[in-house]
Amino acid sequence: MADALHTLSAAELGRRLAAGTLTSRALCEALIARYQAVNDKVGAFTHLDQADVLAQADASDARRKAGQGRGPLEGIPVAIKDNIAVKGQPLTCSSKMLASLVSPYDSHVAERLRAAGAILYGRLNMDEFAMGSSTENSAIRKTFNPWDLARIPGGSSGGSAAALAAGLVPLSLGSDTGGSIRQPASHCGVVGLKPTYGLISRFGLVAFASSLDQIGPMARSIEDCELLLNALASADARDMTCFSPSDRALTPAGDAKKLRIGIPKGFLGKGVAPEVAAAVNAAVEFYRAQGCAISEVELPSADLAVPTYYVVATAEASSNLGRYDGVRYGHRSASAGTPVEMMTASRSEGFGPEVKRRILLGTFVLSAGYADAYYVRALRARAKIRAEYLAALAGVDVLLTPTVTTPAFKVGEKASDPLQLYLEDIFTIPANLAGLPAISVPCGKSGHLPVGFHLVGAPLSEAKLLAAGRLFEAAHGFAHQQAAL
Amino acid sequence: MAEGFDIDHLAKLARLSLTAEEKALYSSQLNQILGHFQALADADLPATIDDARVVNEAALRSDEPGPVLGAEAVTRIAPASRDGQISVPRVVDDES
Repeated sequence: MADALHTLSAAELGRRLAAGTLTSRALCEALIARYQAVNDKVGAFTHLDQADVLAQADASDARRKAGQGRGPLEGIPVAIKDNIAVKGQPLTCSSKMLASLVSPYDSHVAERLRAAGAILYGRLNMDEFAMGSSTENSAIRKTFNPWDLARIPGGSSGGSAAALAAGLVPLSLGSDTGGSIRQPASHCGVVGLKPTYGLISRFGLVAFASSLDQIGPMARSIEDCELLLNALASADARDMTCFSPSDRALTPAGDAKKLRIGIPKGFLGKGVAPEVAAAVNAAVEFYRAQGCAISEVELPSADLAVPTYYVVATAEASSNLGRYDGVRYGHRSASAGTPVEMMTASRSEGFGPEVKRRILLGTFVLSAGYADAYYVRALRARAKIRAEYLAALAGVDVLLTPTVTTPAFKVGEKASDPLQLYLEDIFTIPANLAGLPAISVPCGKSGHLPVGFHLVGAPLSEAKLLAAGRLFEAAHGFAHQQAAL
Repeated sequence: MAEGFDIDHLAKLARLSLTAEEKALYSSQLNQILGHFQALADADLPATIDDARVVNEAALRSDEPGPVLGAEAVTRIAPASRDGQISVPRVVDDES
């Protein structure tokens, strides 16, 4: 049985652990064997401390034996994107800048996972500082799509999605600033949820664009995604944007067959590949056949979302990444002269091309004489986009679109054209701008490549998104899918 | 909108040292990206701005001491330290 453990869901593994037919040590040993067999091909992980994993597993087994199990995640491995702090583990953000940094503290989500008895299982590759849509911007290694090793897994949480699709781990954490959980989830055939802004604390998440960043769960099924979400979401005073206990109640899911689903007008014509449109249209027809009310909705400012996002996100990034100056932590240039020369040399040596490009862009849109024309106008556009989304969601429960316009592209295909890569996020960005929850659900294949659809809901409507995903998943064969490797 | 774009000035503001090749590449790419942002200049936008926070509340913590990392943990991750303090290149000249 041990050789099949990597194919099982977290929920099923939890049931076997609870029944005493499986130990966390046996599970972790099987996953470590899987890691040794396939991680070099896929490149999902950048670091795995096997001795530490087994020590955590033994501690979990001992707790369970003593009747002190901590819940449904007890003994279950959860792999973590390398921009989320876990005490004693690397925190590189896949950047030369932080190549030697070992985190001295736990993020809030790491604390929550420990409290739930989960195994904090390794570090996952990503685009440097979460800037990218293909994981090609990692300074550490390339990650490949398990369904086709010549193609990208998506990004920036490419390691998180690829690890699931390759059967390397049952659950993973990603972060999402403009689609970085949902786009790789779509490309790798897994479920990825970006929660409502404020539902999960970002304490210990390395900041990229603070008004947009969220941590979220990724899994091979809706059930597993919900299991992980429930473990992560709790109040935390260390993140001032995190909801207080009295503000964080989720809207009840209700009957998924009675959902009102809005289809944004024109979205399926926006350069969407025919096979993606066909898979998403089939999902719409499935919901219609279940009894859901399908209607067309207007989002007239949707075309402003990408420029708005790239002004806001790069402006915030240029400020957030100002902290990397070679003084307190991170790379310090050996060619230090004056302090300013040391800072400039350290940043120039430590940051990769995409990070430099975004810092320069963000510096420009905030600079004297240009801030009103770019940054302030982007904030006004953001207000308009958010108002339109909330107005649309007053009449329907969820909005349904493709997650990405095309299936995963080939490694290197868009590497020299940043604008084309930015347009990868056209369907996912508005949820970040508006602070709304959104999920990517696998819904088909284009040839051998996975395709997902995307649901966006009103603030705190995660239960509705999950219920809608569960209804679809139960009638189709895409849950628990893994690539043959 | 991109009128007046000066890559040398931007690099200085961002504390980045760029090679001639990087300056040429980034100038070209940023001009292309800024061209895409023209839609923002042309749009009819509201006068108000929005930080997209779903619940607007005064979320200031009380000003009380809490757990800190401590000097040992902080200097362990610093690029250079001496006597429990982070060391940096000389900031003030002897004659100043």
